[in-house]
Amino acid sequence: MLIKIAFLNLLRNYRRSLVGLLTVGFGVTALFLFDGFNKGVMRQYKDNTIHAKYGHGQVNTKGYREQIFEKPWEHWIEQPQTLIQELAQVPGVSHVFPRIEFPAILQAAELNVAGRGLAVDGHVEADFFNTMNIVEGQTLRDEPNGIILGHGLARALAVKPGGRVTLLTNTVHGSLNGADFTLVGIFQTGLKELDDSHFRIQRGAAAPLLDTDRIESVALGLHRDEDWPTVSQMIRNKHPELDLTSFAELDKVYYQHAVDWLGQQFIVIQWIIILIVALGIGNTMAFTVLERTTEIGHLRANGESARDVLVLLLWEGTLIGLIGSILGILLGWLLNITLLKEGILMPPAPGLTRQFFVKIELQPLMLVVSCLLGTVTAALATGLAASGRVRMPIAAALRYR
Amino acid sequence: MTSLYSCQHISHSYQQGAQTFPALHDVNLEIKAGEFCLIMGPSGSGKSTLLNLLGLIEPLQKGRIFFHGQDLQAIDEARKNQLRRFQLGFIFQSFHLFDVLTAAENVEFFLTRQGVPTAERRTRVQQALEAVDLWQHREKRPQDMSGGQRQRVAIARALAKQPAVILADEPTASLDQDTARSILVLLKNLCDQGRTIIVSSHDPLARTYASRVLNLKDGHLQAGGQADAH
Repeated sequence: MLIKIAFLNLLRNYRRSLVGLLTVGFGVTALFLFDGFNKGVMRQYKDNTIHAKYGHGQVNTKGYREQIFEKPWEHWIEQPQTLIQELAQVPGVSHVFPRIEFPAILQAAELNVAGRGLAVDGHVEADFFNTMNIVEGQTLRDEPNGIILGHGLARALAVKPGGRVTLLTNTVHGSLNGADFTLVGIFQTGLKELDDSHFRIQRGAAAPLLDTDRIESVALGLHRDEDWPTVSQMIRNKHPELDLTSFAELDKVYYQHAVDWLGQQFIVIQWIIILIVALGIGNTMAFTVLERTTEIGHLRANGESARDVLVLLLWEGTLIGLIGSILGILLGWLLNITLLKEGILMPPAPGLTRQFFVKIELQPLMLVVSCLLGTVTAALATGLAASGRVRMPIAAALRYR
Repeated sequence: MTSLYSCQHISHSYQQGAQTFPALHDVNLEIKAGEFCLIMGPSGSGKSTLLNLLGLIEPLQKGRIFFHGQDLQAIDEARKNQLRRFQLGFIFQSFHLFDVLTAAENVEFFLTRQGVPTAERRTRVQQALEAVDLWQHREKRPQDMSGGQRQRVAIARALAKQPAVILADEPTASLDQDTARSILVLLKNLCDQGRTIIVSSHDPLARTYASRVLNLKDGHLQAGGQADAH
């Protein structure tokens, strides 16, 4: 009966109830969508990091990343073919990418620019590293003397796909060496620092240029993002002489900081939304309670305790919260499959130079959390608005006009 | 008849800002079970205050009230709630019905809160509505009823609780003469069936039905107070 009365009371002043429902509903929609948006942004950052640069993680010799060596190549991985084959057999690993990073001077016509190269197995990497965003030409795949340049670097050298680029670098023995390459494509990662200096060539072309068979690192691609801890532990157990670093650590400044920053921002916005919902509901319920002071007096005159009456009003607040939350979730879901279906076009994020689409990824857990937050907030706000009124002297409540 | 209420040296005043307005002054009173007691007096004489004190809805400031020999000052709020829920039934001038409930649901509401089992609840609702001749209107909501019908629903609601006392504050004030008479007849019938009825009113018509009339003037209970009618 108490719940029935609470429900019917909502219909009594339906305009006011509607305001309450809309307040909770929009608040919950905002919470639900914002969390989905946040997850979408994080997914973009993650995919960008994994599929443009590092894979899911990287293998180096022990201590290689922490220390600075005069001759780093002496600490590169020897006889890499055996390790590459072994790593490819580890459960969960889908791709193995041997790599060498080296500095070089790039020449095109009369222009010289310093750059940082990555020697890769193009045919292996081409499909996995699919978010490199080739803006001109194509990605490096099977061209033995092909080179791809960052957008800024290509502009500095004033070259277009098909053009010739000469690389000058030192071999691991210290002598100067050089080779000619044909530009096959220009990439734009969105990271200015990378786009202004990085290039990629085939590992087969880098080996004679650097005069070594060793590799600096092995990047790993996994079937599932969440398998990295298990896979890395398995490799570590078998090869204690190797270090394994996840993409999040490799790209701490770009990825991990962005994730942490967005996470904190979400918490702040979440609290702001909750506060707005609480104030809105508190205001609505304060009016409702004030208007029904004589009814409260009447209930108390017939033996209802202040607590009983508060429970009745809390039911009303809870119903507004629950119904509003469900409507809010439905609205969020509806918006996501209609207006926001293609995602939201975002301006370049800090450190990025290109726009990107963020798909809103609605999470089942957030559905429950948003509903709970909307309902609990509405109930608490009602409790605060009503607690004083239900305790006023009965006769005074009955006299209230 | 046994004593139901015993009031000793009751005084009451209202505070409004710095001003104090006396409402009752040293009232001594005995009300016996089964009486139809009418409290009369002009506006501001303290009728409603006395009724509210007897109904435990106004906090007692000075004096003592005994209900069934129990000192009401000495009991806690939970016990007062119990008394209000089971022993006292209220009828107000402005009815105080739940707009969102039907007549039957209004009558049933406080029975649910009393914990009366469903079957008995339904029986009591029917009996109470039949007693006020509204059974055929049980599905109507208050806004679809006349003032007299609403007051009769309020009476049925008080009656269904099966309280020891029914306290009615100006129950006929907003009704026409014929409806007022029917309400008073109804209250008289309830009294004849053994209920104690205490009514505050300034309606001279009510005198005709009361077994005892108490006159209040400026918060003072006038001498006499015995039945001056039937």
